[in-house]
Amino acid sequence: MLTAAGRRPWTFYALAAFFALYVAFLYGPMICIFVLSFQGPQGALVFPMRGMSLHWFAELVTQTETGDILGAISRSIPLAIIVMAATVAVSVAGGLAFRDRFRGGAALFYAVIVSLVAPGYVLGIGIGLMFQLLGLPANWYSSALGAQLTWTLPFGLLIMFAVFGRFNRAYEEAARDLGAGAGQILRLVVIPIVLPGIIAVALFGFTLSYDEFARTLQTSGSTNTLPLEIWSMTTNVTSPVIYALGTVTTAFSFIVIGVALSAIALIQRRRYGRALPAGRH
Amino acid sequence: MAQRRKKRARIGSVDANTAISRRNLLRAGAAALGAAAGSQVIGAPTIWAQEIKDIELRHVGVSYSVVKAIGDQASKDLGFKVTMQNLDTSAAITRFITQPQTVDIPDLEGWQTKVAVARGILQGIEVKRIKEFDNILPIFTKGEYEGKKVSRQGISPYEAMYIEKKDSTKIVEGVHDWMTFLPQVYNADSIGYRPDIVGHPVTHWKDLIDPKYKGRSAILDVPNIGIMDAALALESRGDLVYKNKGNMTRQEIDTTINALIALKKQGQFRATWTTFEQSVELMASGEVVIQSMWSPAVTAVLAKGIPCIYAPVNEQPNGKEGYRGWCNGMGLMRHLSGKKLEAAYEYLNWYYAGWQGGFVARHGYYSPVPKTAEKFMTANEYGYWYLGKPAADVIKDPYGAAIAKAGAVRDGGSFIERFTNIACWNTVMDENQYMIQRWNEFKSA
Amino acid sequence: MRHAGQSGERASPSPPPHRVRTAPPISGSPARPYLLVAPLLAVLLVFVVAPLAFVVAVSFFHYDNFAIIPAFSFENYADVLTAHLTYELYLTMIWFSALTWFFTLIIGFTVAYFLVFHVRNPLIAIGLFLVCTVPFWTSNVIRMISWLPLLGKQGLINNALLTTGVIRQPLQFLLFSDFSVVVSYVHLFTIFMIVPIFNSMSRIDRTLFEAAADAGSSRWQTLLYVVVPLCKSGIALGSIFVVTLVMGDFYVVKVMSGGSRASIVSAMYDDISTLLFPHAAANAVILMIIVVIMVSLILRVVDVRKELASQR
Repeated sequence: MLTAAGRRPWTFYALAAFFALYVAFLYGPMICIFVLSFQGPQGALVFPMRGMSLHWFAELVTQTETGDILGAISRSIPLAIIVMAATVAVSVAGGLAFRDRFRGGAALFYAVIVSLVAPGYVLGIGIGLMFQLLGLPANWYSSALGAQLTWTLPFGLLIMFAVFGRFNRAYEEAARDLGAGAGQILRLVVIPIVLPGIIAVALFGFTLSYDEFARTLQTSGSTNTLPLEIWSMTTNVTSPVIYALGTVTTAFSFIVIGVALSAIALIQRRRYGRALPAGRH
Repeated sequence: MAQRRKKRARIGSVDANTAISRRNLLRAGAAALGAAAGSQVIGAPTIWAQEIKDIELRHVGVSYSVVKAIGDQASKDLGFKVTMQNLDTSAAITRFITQPQTVDIPDLEGWQTKVAVARGILQGIEVKRIKEFDNILPIFTKGEYEGKKVSRQGISPYEAMYIEKKDSTKIVEGVHDWMTFLPQVYNADSIGYRPDIVGHPVTHWKDLIDPKYKGRSAILDVPNIGIMDAALALESRGDLVYKNKGNMTRQEIDTTINALIALKKQGQFRATWTTFEQSVELMASGEVVIQSMWSPAVTAVLAKGIPCIYAPVNEQPNGKEGYRGWCNGMGLMRHLSGKKLEAAYEYLNWYYAGWQGGFVARHGYYSPVPKTAEKFMTANEYGYWYLGKPAADVIKDPYGAAIAKAGAVRDGGSFIERFTNIACWNTVMDENQYMIQRWNEFKSA
Repeated sequence: MRHAGQSGERASPSPPPHRVRTAPPISGSPARPYLLVAPLLAVLLVFVVAPLAFVVAVSFFHYDNFAIIPAFSFENYADVLTAHLTYELYLTMIWFSALTWFFTLIIGFTVAYFLVFHVRNPLIAIGLFLVCTVPFWTSNVIRMISWLPLLGKQGLINNALLTTGVIRQPLQFLLFSDFSVVVSYVHLFTIFMIVPIFNSMSRIDRTLFEAAADAGSSRWQTLLYVVVPLCKSGIALGSIFVVTLVMGDFYVVKVMSGGSRASIVSAMYDDISTLLFPHAAANAVILMIIVVIMVSLILRVVDVRKELASQR
């Protein structure tokens, strides 16, 4: 939003301040986590700080006092990636399908709502019980995967609904008229247009899966994912090692985001051969 | 951290010095030692290595009894893999009941064993095959200690311990040939408090609900346990006398909950804590000064340099006070058979051979076989933790932090003193459903 | 007018029905929708319908303190529906849902508006957006534990207020109260409001602002009469997400209220801890019915599905 002179209106500053406040609110606990993760061996989970050291970061790697955090991460991350990919694929397909009315569409839609609404812990027990009765072993890559999909798919699907709701099919028609096949239409027309929606779904899928607790509790089989491991640790003495984990995760995420954005900026610069386009308007 | 490394090395060297490690034996190509009678060797094999090295035992339970470090040590000593999975108590018992095939060694509380047996998911443990059976404290195996009978309020471990045959689903009274579970970690719970703020030694449960500590006290939010703490407090205050705190009648439940609701409305409780961790932080951060606590939580608070005492609430002649006892143990799932079952028995016996006992003692937990645990602790540690003697030297927690100076006495005295003063055991009542409903009413009041 | 860098689809308040669909569906073969929803259907059938069938069945069973006995009795439903506790819990959770919805909507809408309309560089917009999601990759459990050092009596906020002299006694209500529960909810769930609204907003044609200004509308009027109606589906989606998340929560209330409140699911959890499966199952079924009704009400106001399959 620019005024004629190119200056920003006052609302920009007001909203920017509001945004800054929101980020501060979001990061408030993160700051506590960050500061407290640098405590010494006598560290607690609350202030005042007891000592300063990298003790807990070392503990994160050596795992002498804690549960199996590294092992849990080694399951949580692949699981989240698989769930993310599956969610995107199924949600896009579902969104495409729902554009046309088909028989059973309403029932399917409500099944999706029920999937969203079902109490996670109870559903997890049901899934675990089902696997037991069928004689199948419960694992993070089978039963937990399915359980987490029941959680992420409604989110993904509903978002794709909203995205496709604003999608003008004239583009598809035009592409068809120009001789494009179905696959080409999908790849070259539809997906680029709905890409922001797909990214949102992917983000949701990963985050929801990585953090998923209730549905995974009874479906992860004989090994724990990260939320389960941390939750179980709280039944025993928990130490700032979980804060160290939080700090490392956040640092890592920032690095990944920084790299990704720089990469995109670089690609765009190369593509347009000049500075980035002046955004909106 | 260096201290911790040293400590572990020390334990390891005790291992190497006093025991022939399993690996050495096997390298010598020796045959299995056959019947292990008289063999005090840690993890002495009674079956061939090749046959069991691919076996994996899945031990599932709460993180204060099913500890990764113990599983790692067992794997090292025994030659097959022992993997530990931690879940909270509720999720664990639900797993055992709904997905029994995914667990090999379940970690069960006394009252959970009762239900598990009735559901037919366990198999009996043959008493004959447990080497240290006679060294298990008679509190568990015979329900008595030096003539004095252990309290039967609630579900005591002894009450849930014996079945007639390997596949029975009914628990019987009296010592029999088959057990339902092997006691593993246990303790007597009472109140933790800040001596510097409270100002006087606490020996009665009624201090927990004393208006002096309004807004600075807490109880725990597990309904079937919290209600017993409340009952102990109310009985201590003189409100009523319970027939069986571990199995209340509806009127008793109503009286208790109504009293709790009244206390809550007066602002007595700062919070009710759900996780162990919360209890530590509540005390360590100064949010509360007196609360229901678990012994290792007190240790954890002490390790942070904050004074905290675990109140000795020995039973009074008038029948009031007393600790609330609990006991976690290992069971055998019914589906275990063949070589895996053999390996499971190896594991159970390894557990009682002492290393585990020494390890958990430093957290403040006791081993049910103190004789073997003693071998893995220094005389000073054993004296402090088990016998209630004044510490001859600084006492450290498992990670090297000092928690008691020389001359300090463990709260509550010797463990025998604590355990012969148990008033009631963790339980699930007949009126459980009603009790949970009323408990939630207390919470939403 | 197309905008450089914009995908360029137009969003008009009500698409004029200028074309009746006489041609075959654009997607090609009539079997295509069915093929496309097949994976979705498979997942739902196996992982939702089947397990829930169990749950419904168990809700009719009988429990005798040791074993679940198959039966067909309504005793569990009777227990749940006649208990005063049930109404208290639902009222509490609906109250929390309403409060959370209100705050997440205000905050979410404002943040989305800022990101979409005021940040010029789309790359920075994405960057800022990602900054908002980074905290979610630290486990919920860890972040909930970390409220204590922030809100506790000796926490950062109290310390700051005390040292600057704003207050003389530490504020008790910051933690272990309804306040802390709602704060935690807003903290956790605003992102679910931001994302759909962001999506909806980014499709709004910028020229509409110009048109509205030309027609004499003030900034506020533009907001109310142009932006908000165009974000209807985003707001509806966000509301659905937030309401569902709050109603189905069990550990935020448990932990943040310090046990001074119970939630519906935490009561279910207590039941399950002592193996009262039938009673918990009945609770679960009733909860699902009620939340589905709540969601349907939201969908009645904004029919997301109709928008999707509208004739174009």
